[in-house]
Amino acid sequence: MDNLGDKVLRKIKEECICPKPRWQFLMKDYFIWFLFLVALLLGSLAFCVVLYVLSVNDWDLYQYLHTSLVGHILISIPYIWIIFLAIFVLIAHYNFKHTKSGYRRETYFVVGLSVAGSLFLGVFLYILGTGEKIEDFVETSVPMYEKIACCSTRKDIWVQPSRGLLAGKIVSVMDARNFEIKDFSGSAWQIQEDDDTLEYDPLRIQPGEDVKIIGEKKMDFVFWAREIRPWKNKGEAHKANARLENE
Amino acid sequence: MIEKDNCENKTDEELVALTIGNQDFFSCLVDRYSDKLTRYIMRISASTREDAEDLLQEIFVKAYRNINGFDQSLKFSSWIYRIAHNQVISQWRKTKSRPQVIKFEADEDFLKFIANDEDLALDTERKFESEEVRELLKELDEKYKEVLVLKFIEGKDYKEISDILEKPLGTVATLINRAKKQLKKTIKEKGFEFRK
Repeated sequence: MDNLGDKVLRKIKEECICPKPRWQFLMKDYFIWFLFLVALLLGSLAFCVVLYVLSVNDWDLYQYLHTSLVGHILISIPYIWIIFLAIFVLIAHYNFKHTKSGYRRETYFVVGLSVAGSLFLGVFLYILGTGEKIEDFVETSVPMYEKIACCSTRKDIWVQPSRGLLAGKIVSVMDARNFEIKDFSGSAWQIQEDDDTLEYDPLRIQPGEDVKIIGEKKMDFVFWAREIRPWKNKGEAHKANARLENE
Repeated sequence: MIEKDNCENKTDEELVALTIGNQDFFSCLVDRYSDKLTRYIMRISASTREDAEDLLQEIFVKAYRNINGFDQSLKFSSWIYRIAHNQVISQWRKTKSRPQVIKFEADEDFLKFIANDEDLALDTERKFESEEVRELLKELDEKYKEVLVLKFIEGKDYKEISDILEKPLGTVATLINRAKKQLKKTIKEKGFEFRK
């Protein structure tokens, strides 16, 4: 009677069973590593947007939104990008665990590695300005984005003239103290400045520029500006007079 | 066909390398592991000897197909046990029926191994009836059974168990400790008497 070894060998020969080529195993392993790295990269892209959104957020805005600082922080967190980061960390973890020796590592190590990798690379990409580019791209190509993204980039929050907040695009400059904007909901407003108005770098009062203004509604479609900020990347503040003197 | 005597002095890993050049050498590996794996499959799947042997044939054919993927950093025994473990699980999924009780061929072996373990420190002279052993094991969670089989019956160390079950060493250690604790608790609850 045949022993199992002979039976198996006979089956292999009769059915012409061949070993899979080595390159297939190598390709599979490289592919899993590739997916791990892609997930890590995507996670880091999500994180660099998180950093960017947090860095351009107007942290002092809560005073005008009638909320506390904690409340403002909670609505300012870019949850959507943090969720993306978490998803890509989990995908990276899944792929790492499926590499040839990935099972040997504890889950906390793999998750830690994926998080650390994404954060480290994310900081690097943020310094390169990738966060801003991604945010701009998503903002223009995803219609719902500004409804779900963080507070300072949410246009609806900035179009509340009765609360002293107004933002939009400058359409014309009438004189040194007056210009006109079209707010993000489409209404035209005359903006008035005076000696006390603060302006934040790198502001340029010229048609086509997006600005956000904190001040007071004087009458229908006339708004007095206490502060004028560029829509993005708020820098140092100075009095409007300083700009006028330079001009 | 090769002379099987040619295989005797060769390690598993050498036989793997030879199999890639000449499939006949694979039968030596099959002969070397068929009994061990038959028992292992029966222990973890509660299958009959006939079913275990059918499954074993599939396992070896699968191993042969994947022989080029054998990871040289592993022992061959870990690799083949892993394939057996995965194949048993995939069989469970196919039939959608997980075994309720692990069926042991050598119940006393199991207890001897348990007894020799420092943590459990059971009395080796205590004679257990097969029925008692079955009763003990019935109480044990499914996830602990296989790890105990590998540790105490198959005599695998933590690293090998980690490679077979594809779990980190720490997880294997935790599973074994918890399994021992549960076993101890069950032994107490059942009122078995032991001599320290």
